[in-house]
Amino acid sequence: MQNESAITIKNLITRYGDKLILKDLSFEIPRSKITAIVGGSGCGKSTLLKHIIGLLKPASGSILVGGRDIVAMNERELNEFRRRIGVLFQGSALLNSMTIEDNVALPIREHARLNEATIKIMVKMKLDLVGLSGFDDFFPAQLSGGMKKRAGIARAMALDPEMLFFDEPQAGLDPITAAGLDELIMKLRDIFKMTLVVVTHELHSLFTIADHIIMLDKGELIFTGTVEQFKFSEHPKIKRFISRQVEEDKYCPEDYFNIITAD
Amino acid sequence: MDINIEDVGKGKKVSLSGEIDMHTSPELRKALLKLTKEKISPIIIDLKNVSYMDSSAIATFVEALKSMMSYKGSMRLCNLSPRVQEIFAFAKLDRVFTICKDIEDALSR
Repeated sequence: MQNESAITIKNLITRYGDKLILKDLSFEIPRSKITAIVGGSGCGKSTLLKHIIGLLKPASGSILVGGRDIVAMNERELNEFRRRIGVLFQGSALLNSMTIEDNVALPIREHARLNEATIKIMVKMKLDLVGLSGFDDFFPAQLSGGMKKRAGIARAMALDPEMLFFDEPQAGLDPITAAGLDELIMKLRDIFKMTLVVVTHELHSLFTIADHIIMLDKGELIFTGTVEQFKFSEHPKIKRFISRQVEEDKYCPEDYFNIITAD
Repeated sequence: MDINIEDVGKGKKVSLSGEIDMHTSPELRKALLKLTKEKISPIIIDLKNVSYMDSSAIATFVEALKSMMSYKGSMRLCNLSPRVQEIFAFAKLDRVFTICKDIEDALSR
């Protein structure tokens, strides 16, 4: 039987200098489901994502993908691992000097020895998948924000990855375009049975697409479980997050005094 | 990936096995385009023993089908796994290819 967990994180600790960023995180990301990583700004969501995709090394802990610890991988092994995943970065990270077709074809040309005719068909299939048929010859600057995200997804899908990661995909999109993107993410789960991980703080999108939720608060894991469990959680920070309540005062008077009088 | 080609009437049956991915699909492309150059029709593709197929495999079938159009040839795909069938349906490729249940079905078309 296939392991139900696609990624297992054990005792992950990260520091920037003396500052503890991720505080001993342990959780699992289920296979063929959409997992949302949520939390307020600066809680460590994007940092966590960068660790899971092998862009950052933690101070300690392990990240097991398919039974292999990516923390212990050398650069060559990491490159092989990255070939099996797709990432949509916040700004879509398209190359502005290239057409959409060339942007999507780039990873295929880099990693495979395929005939150009085959690549052209593959790219057209990916663009059709994300609803961008006919935009092959456009440049990124000629596309709207939502279309750029779709083109970014087509490129992330270029090598048929087993897992796709999204860093705040709805950021900067109007609600209708964001809803279209949510629909596309769900389609990728349903049709391709992919494991999808979405960093987000958009509540509407979260409750629309997520099967599983991981919530961080100041680098600590405060929740891991299903959407239903999340909705009915009694954890005060989760309740505040769902009801969009402003955080209580961060500091007690002593802390504040120490901050403003520090050398 | 293994490719086994045999005669079936005026056409050929191409039995594939193993994984068809970006490393192996160039070999499949070479074999299929050789058949289309000889204007073989029908070409029956048996996917019964294919454990994995990526988009380069699908693109290769599309390319071969495209080259068959010049001589109005027919390509029939059979024994698709439910998952591959779902992907074909989603990409509307089930309207482009003749999808058959099994070899008998493909031969009877």
